[in-house]
Amino acid sequence: MKKTIKSIGRHIFLAALAFVWLIPIFWLIVTTFSTQKGINTNHFFPEHWTLANYHQLFFETDAAANFPAWFKNSMIIGVCCCIISSMFVIMTAYAFSCIRFKGRKQLMSFSLILGMFPGVLSMIAMYFVLKLMGLTDSIVGLIIVYSGASGLGYLILKGFFDTIPTSLHEAAKLEGASEATIFAKIVVPLSKPMIVYTVINSFLNPWMDFMMARLMIKSKDAADWTMAIGLFNLLQRALVNQYFAIFCCGGLMVAVPISILFIVMQKFYVEGVTGGAVKG
Amino acid sequence: MKNMVCKIGNAFKELGHAFVHGDIWVKLSAIIMGAGYFGRKQFVRGVLMTVLEVGVIASIAKVFAPYMAKLNTLGTVQREEIFDILTMKKTVNDYDNSLLILLYGIIGILIVVAFIALYIGNMRAVYRLQKMQENGEHINSFKDDIASFKNENFHITLLTLPSLGVILINVIPIIFMICIAFTNYDENHQPPTYLFTWVGIKNFIALFTNSQTITFGYAFVRVLAWTLIWAVVATATTFLGGILLAQFINHEHTHFKGMWRTLFVITIGIPQFVTLLLISKMFGDYGIVNTWCANVGILDFFKNIGLLSQGAQCIPFLSQPGWAHVTIILVNIWVGVPYQMLVATGILMNIPTDQIESAKIDGANKFQTFWKITMPYVLFITGPSLIQSVIQNINNFNVIYLLTSTYQTTNMAMAGSNAKEVDLLVTWLFTLTNDYSNFKMASVIGIVTFVICAALSLLTFSRMIGGDKEEVYR
Repeated sequence: MKKTIKSIGRHIFLAALAFVWLIPIFWLIVTTFSTQKGINTNHFFPEHWTLANYHQLFFETDAAANFPAWFKNSMIIGVCCCIISSMFVIMTAYAFSCIRFKGRKQLMSFSLILGMFPGVLSMIAMYFVLKLMGLTDSIVGLIIVYSGASGLGYLILKGFFDTIPTSLHEAAKLEGASEATIFAKIVVPLSKPMIVYTVINSFLNPWMDFMMARLMIKSKDAADWTMAIGLFNLLQRALVNQYFAIFCCGGLMVAVPISILFIVMQKFYVEGVTGGAVKG
Repeated sequence: MKNMVCKIGNAFKELGHAFVHGDIWVKLSAIIMGAGYFGRKQFVRGVLMTVLEVGVIASIAKVFAPYMAKLNTLGTVQREEIFDILTMKKTVNDYDNSLLILLYGIIGILIVVAFIALYIGNMRAVYRLQKMQENGEHINSFKDDIASFKNENFHITLLTLPSLGVILINVIPIIFMICIAFTNYDENHQPPTYLFTWVGIKNFIALFTNSQTITFGYAFVRVLAWTLIWAVVATATTFLGGILLAQFINHEHTHFKGMWRTLFVITIGIPQFVTLLLISKMFGDYGIVNTWCANVGILDFFKNIGLLSQGAQCIPFLSQPGWAHVTIILVNIWVGVPYQMLVATGILMNIPTDQIESAKIDGANKFQTFWKITMPYVLFITGPSLIQSVIQNINNFNVIYLLTSTYQTTNMAMAGSNAKEVDLLVTWLFTLTNDYSNFKMASVIGIVTFVICAALSLLTFSRMIGGDKEEVYR
């Protein structure tokens, strides 16, 4: 009897916690159906329900809200960065983990030191450089900024490569495989879960980033913006009373695919975030 | 450091040795870098080397030298426009652009340094080839060279592109910004219209002084204090919260473990620029949380216990210092706990159960096992990553900036240096550049942030790379 009460209490407590965590998301969802364009400060649920906001989001673009363009821009940036960054990370991690070459430790220490500089600092200079090249306000510029230095994020994957037994390498070498073959045919297929994690992360970094985009994009034309800048702009004081419901729709549209991805990839993610720590 | 000097000295010694003892081809290589390869019939390599040499020297002479020459002053001729009445056109004089001079100057110096290294390496390689020929060893053909990039030189194939990216996106900009910290580049000295120049450590002094006109010292101390408090408290709360939540979910009597985890994980999946902006609106002065608080009576309660003045219209969750600080920490718990929960889940699954069992047999209760066995184990494993997450929190831009984008400071001394009470060093840096074009002070703050992070990292540095832990798990 005492056990059942305890068990019920435990689940009620968890439910309460989950409720707290999900309130903002409930609010996001219900607000998308609101007929009131601004923030409803009096009621949690909208008084009248409608689907018009979604229609406006997708089909009635204007000077302030151009969701299809934002989605397209963010998607292109995300996919390109995903490809470039994952390649860079995998290549760097493999070189540092599985090949012993001269200057390896020095390079690794150097990369650690570089990682300690606040990202904004180098980004300001990058902004000048891109401006000289005429690449600010462009997708190409953002792709360069997001993916160029991604090689520095190799630590977690390297931690995983470190656990692949050296005997495998040696066996392959005896069979006459070159380093390139070992890399492509043995190590990469063996590390599938971690590589999935790396790929997802490389996509999410630019997709979820706000700071760099804010620094790099100065254009006044809504069609040049990414998702983050566009949605941020909708909440400016002059616009928020007209566009809050649209903001919620946009936010939900961004969140749904990623949330699903996260739920599916939870297992990989647990392995990924702990992989580096365990080997610390 | 002494090691470095020794190595560079050795490199030059070997250069001299190669030159003195080399044959005609090696000596010729001192001028035409490909010559040594032609002498050993490595024609493709010889041509490539010579083309590279010509290209580098030409680009330095043509593009970089004029800028590098002006590096000491960063330019002296200011831009002037003269309106010509006859042609009705504006003519602009041949002005200096300090920004370009600094940027091209730095890139030029880096290229020169790299070229010298290549030159020395080339001489040594050519001399080695001579020795190999004398000893009758096999000399690689071009085909062999290409094949080596798949084998013994595979790391070069792998690392070239990523390193180039890092140099372009990280190294050059960082050097550039460090230089900016020693100039007077701000909104009054913006190229191309105006010049900026070197001012020594004046900006660093300004950051630590406090006077009628300069309030950076005042703001800096407060921002730094809040940054450190924030980093420690944010890390500690999310870490502890994450472990407790993971413990709770992983408990043997909890049903539907996967479902509970998923519910929390959903919040990670939504980009922070959506959730945080949304929450900042919920907690706004006239937001929905304030409406609830007024309805339920929390507003009056706060007034009665003296936390708010009697005339207060709302609870200033994100608009007054103190209140805003607490709200930010609480919201950060909301943001950070699910993520830490995932991390902790991974660790707790690996926890050796025999220890907990034996503790149970010895009569330890749950709190004792948690504090005496689980926590030390988790701390042991996550120690280094904890310090890493303190550093990440020092640089946590999103939470602060997105939550307080509408926050306005009433403290004139803070406002004088464009800071806010809730600013971290990085958000302050960001505002200074993005809104006020005060690049010199932004760079100084960036360097200070780096020093703090580097000092903290030194604590973990030895564990991550210095030690030979890499091969323990093989």
